[in-house]
Amino acid sequence: MTNLLQTLAALRRRPMRTFLTALGTALGIATIAALLAVAGGAQQSAGKFLSLGSSDLGVFQKDAADPTTSVLPVGLVSRLRTTPGIAAATPLILLVGDVKRLPSAIVFGAEPHSFVTNRYVFTAGHMFSGARQAVIGTGLAAQMHLQPGDTLTVAHRRFRVTGIYHMGVAEQDDGGVIPLAAAQGISGKSGEATTVAVSLDEATTRQEGIRTITHHFPGLLVIGDGVPASRAGVSSVMLSNLALVLAVIALVIGGIGVMNTMLMAVVERRTEFALLSAVGWSGVQIAARVMIEGVVTTLIGAALGLLLGVVGAHLLVGVLGAQEYVTPDVTAWDLGRALLVGVLLGVLGGLYPAWRAARVSPAQALAQR
Amino acid sequence: MPGSRVAVEHVSRSHGATQVLREVSFAVEPGEVVALTGPSGSGKTTLLQLIGSLDRPTSGAIHVDDIAVHELRHPASFRRDVVGFVFQLHHLLPSLTVQENVELTMVAAHVPRRERHTRARELLDEVGLGGRPHALPSDLSGGERQRVAIARALAGRPRLILADEPTGSLDSAASDRIWNLLVSVRERHGTTILIASHDPTLREHADRSLAISDGRVTDAAPPATIAAPPAGLPAENAESAGKAGKMV
Repeated sequence: MTNLLQTLAALRRRPMRTFLTALGTALGIATIAALLAVAGGAQQSAGKFLSLGSSDLGVFQKDAADPTTSVLPVGLVSRLRTTPGIAAATPLILLVGDVKRLPSAIVFGAEPHSFVTNRYVFTAGHMFSGARQAVIGTGLAAQMHLQPGDTLTVAHRRFRVTGIYHMGVAEQDDGGVIPLAAAQGISGKSGEATTVAVSLDEATTRQEGIRTITHHFPGLLVIGDGVPASRAGVSSVMLSNLALVLAVIALVIGGIGVMNTMLMAVVERRTEFALLSAVGWSGVQIAARVMIEGVVTTLIGAALGLLLGVVGAHLLVGVLGAQEYVTPDVTAWDLGRALLVGVLLGVLGGLYPAWRAARVSPAQALAQR
Repeated sequence: MPGSRVAVEHVSRSHGATQVLREVSFAVEPGEVVALTGPSGSGKTTLLQLIGSLDRPTSGAIHVDDIAVHELRHPASFRRDVVGFVFQLHHLLPSLTVQENVELTMVAAHVPRRERHTRARELLDEVGLGGRPHALPSDLSGGERQRVAIARALAGRPRLILADEPTGSLDSAASDRIWNLLVSVRERHGTTILIASHDPTLREHADRSLAISDGRVTDAAPPATIAAPPAGLPAENAESAGKAGKMV
């Protein structure tokens, strides 16, 4: 207890050194927090991309490398409609990167009066009825300053905007819908769909629906809202793995940062630890002092680091120009994890410096003048 | 508590090819104040470090009472309970107050907080700094810092004080005060004091002096004296040791 109190008092009386040591730790933890937030954001973006909003289930080609590369025959739709538990099914084409001015916008090819489009709430205009017409979400309309009557260009094809809808699903509100046939033409998938949106009847739960479809159509992958993106396809698995790699890199970088900071603090204060040794402190007592100091400064650094990390995540995405694809996802869990990891790093990163401090030769250190 | 007897027997210390101490032998009796004099680089500091277990001899033996210092594998308790160090540079921890610096040894010994505070205040009174327990070392003069260092050295109630150039960086007035303090410590507690200094006037304050030159003690006690058992030194040997080394 005395060791702790004295250490706290010593840290308080050296505010600049404490701040700089904490800052070194903060940079490490900020790296962890920022990369975790970016990785989480990337994963979540993938998850939202797969979320089909109002539809209950999305049916994709199994083992497709990416949801947008899934190819299903439109004839599957009528077979699905007759499957028990399914109230409605409608084909969809997903077009990604085809709106030149806003590559992150997802454009759906859909039938104008399917159960999916019927749920759209229009804030202006109405659903399209012609082959060269489109409706767009409020987000896309705001970003591109479009109103009904304006033109939306998708893959060099011009569509007149007939309505603006709001769904409350970012990926849909930031995108648009064009006729299915037009989307098939753009994607070269005549008579095919990327996915089939399925609405279940009231008596069928989502799990039952997934089981039924999987049973009748073993070549399909069925995704429900909230299903992890990693199940959607190879690319999503890769994305998930990438997030893991980023987190590990963050841990290594952060860990080295924390350890280096603490090691420097020990090296700088060799004389101090030599003095403690000379007046009878055991190696364990000296090491404990270093560890206490390490954990306390790490906690201070962690608080600072989390703040820097949140800011840094947005800056990182901005610098990479990826803000249209990835929104850093900073959750309490992420912050808690970064804090926990930071403290663990403080302890683990402090072990070697503490060992070094405990082994400082008083004869050598005190003889240096 | 009476002072310790120190017996140094054929001690050598080398760093690589450099021989710092060569076959040094001498004895210091309990309660003696002995000056180690010699020029800079003669081996005084190394000798004190070896006696205080801050370093280990290349060869030879060092006994403090019945403790074989040269064989200590875990010297922390020896440094804490037997020895008090005073260095030329006070080596006070800059982030701790005067009182906290004095308490360091007692913290290591797990002395209860209240007792620690009381004893630290008493020691600060003893060295004339009772009114400044909460000052930081940076607030003190060189002489005051050295007095705090002496209080810290006394905090563990040591039987042996090893002082390395304790007045080396002080003016004459501050030096006199430090000397008077060390002498009074011996008078009140019977502590054995071994002081290294390149200042020849040190002899005036010590019971006797040992001159060190080029790693050798040139006027040490005769071998017959130091060969005696560390504890329970025969009276005639103790007497001869005192006579042989007495310089006053």
